[in-house]
Amino acid sequence: MTLSDTSAQQPQAIRIANVYKSYGDHPVLKNIDAEVARGEVVVICGPSGSGKSTLIRTINRLEEISSGVISFDGQNIHAPMRTKELNLLRSRIGFVFQNFNLFPHLSVVENVSMSPIRVKGVAPAEAHDKALKLLDRVGLADKANAYPAQLSGGQQQRVAIARALAMEPPVMLFDEPTSALDPEMVGEVLAVMKSLAADGMTMLCVTHEMGFARDVADRIWFIDAGEIIETAPPEEFFKAPRHPRAQRFLADLRH
Amino acid sequence: MISDITAIISDYWLLLLIGQYPNGPLGGLANTLILSAFSIALAFPVSILFALARLSKWRLLRWPVTALVYVTRGVPLLMLILWSYFLVPLWTGADVPSFVTMLTTLVVYQGAFLSEVVRGGIVALGHGQMEAAKALGHSYLGAMRFVILPQALYNMIPSIISTFVSTIKDTTLGYVINVPDLTFAASQVNNQLLTQPFQVFLILAVVYYAICWSLTHVANVIERRITRRRAGLTDRAKPVSLAMSKIVSEQP
Repeated sequence: MTLSDTSAQQPQAIRIANVYKSYGDHPVLKNIDAEVARGEVVVICGPSGSGKSTLIRTINRLEEISSGVISFDGQNIHAPMRTKELNLLRSRIGFVFQNFNLFPHLSVVENVSMSPIRVKGVAPAEAHDKALKLLDRVGLADKANAYPAQLSGGQQQRVAIARALAMEPPVMLFDEPTSALDPEMVGEVLAVMKSLAADGMTMLCVTHEMGFARDVADRIWFIDAGEIIETAPPEEFFKAPRHPRAQRFLADLRH
Repeated sequence: MISDITAIISDYWLLLLIGQYPNGPLGGLANTLILSAFSIALAFPVSILFALARLSKWRLLRWPVTALVYVTRGVPLLMLILWSYFLVPLWTGADVPSFVTMLTTLVVYQGAFLSEVVRGGIVALGHGQMEAAKALGHSYLGAMRFVILPQALYNMIPSIISTFVSTIKDTTLGYVINVPDLTFAASQVNNQLLTQPFQVFLILAVVYYAICWSLTHVANVIERRITRRRAGLTDRAKPVSLAMSKIVSEQP
C-alpha cells in the first residue's frame, strides 16, 4: 500500500495513542490519547511545565517517547526507521518554533526557498518564485532580500511560518509562536495563523493566546502534569470547564 | 647594517627565493609557500571531518578521533615531525621524501587544533538551528552543510586564521628534517657568511611577517564583507561603527 492510499483512508491527520515519556523516574507525558482530524485546529493549553511543548515536539520526533504510538497519515513516527524516512516524514510536518530559529546567514527569501531546493530538489528559480509568493502571503514581500537580523520579532516569526509552508506540509505545528514576541507584534503573527486556519490547514498550536483559541480553535486540549485532562470545543471549555484544574487555570488567566 | 642586508639580498635572492632549483630541489620562499598552501588546504577539510567525528553519536568514529586529537595536541610538533621522519621509513621501509613527511605531520597536527576550533563553533550555535533544519526535513549532513557550518565557520574566522598563521610559521620546523624551505635557505646563507646572523635572520623574520600579515589582512577583508552583507549593508552604504572582531594571530 502506498503512502497516499493510506492517507486517503485515515480521517485523522495525527493520532496519539498511549504515549508515555519520562526523563529517568520523572514522567513528563502520561497516557496521552488524542487525535487531530484533517482540517482541524487544535489549541493545546495548560500551565507552564505541564508538558505542552514536549508533546508537540514528539509529533515530529524532535523528542523521543518512552512508549506509545504517534501516527501521522497512518505512519508511526516513532517506529524504528531509516533516517531518510524520518527526514521525509518531518519535511511533511511544518513546525514553528518559539524562538523562530531562522537561518541568520541567509536572506529572508533564501530562508524560505532553501529547504525546498535542498530537501525536495525543487528547481531554484521555481523555489524562489514560490518563496516570494509565500512571503507576500505573510505580508513580507518587501523584505525578501533583508536578513533576519534586520527584522522585528513578529516579522521573523512570519518568515518562519512562510519557511515551514514552503515545504507544503499538510499539517502545521506551532510551539508557542508568540511567546517570545513583544505584545504589539503578537497580532500580526496570529493574523497569519488565522488565515491559515481559514484556508483549511490542519493545525496544532501550543499557545497562551486564549483569544486566538476562542476564535480559531475547533477544540482545546487542556494539559496538566503531563496528562490531557480535558478536551472540549472552545465555547464549552471557556464557559464551563469540567476539570477543577482547568477551572483554576482559567480563573488565574482572568486576573 | 642596511647595506649588509641589501648586499645579502642581492647576492642570495635566488637561493632565498627558490633554493638550489633547477640544480637541486625546489626550496626557499617558493617551497615555504607551497608547503604552507598545501598544509592549510588539506588541514582545513581534515579539521571539519575531525570535528564531525568528535560530535558523532557513533563511538567507533568519536573515540579514535578524540584520542588522536588529545595526543596530537599534547605532544610538541617537533617530536611528531621527528617520529614520522625516523619511524615511518623504519616501519614501512618506504623512502618518504621529507617534504611529504612534513606536510603529513603538519596536516594532522594543525587539523587536530583546527578541529577543536570548528567543533567549538558548531557547539556554540546551540540546538535551535539544527532542530529547525531537521524539522524542515534536512538530513544531519545536509543541515551541517547548509545551516550549521556556514555559520560556525564564519563565527570562527579569527581563530581559524590564527591557526592558519601558526601553520605557516610551523613550516619552519621542516628545517630539522632538511625540508629545503626558506628557513633552510637562510641558514645556508648564514653558514656561508658566518658573521651576519642578525641580518640574515632579520630578512627571514620580515618575510614570514609579510606572509602572515597578508593572510590576516585578506581574512579581515573577507570577514568584513560577510558581516556587512549579513547586516544588510550594501557596498555603497558605509558602515559607521560595525563592531568587528579583531583578528588575533598568536600561537594557540
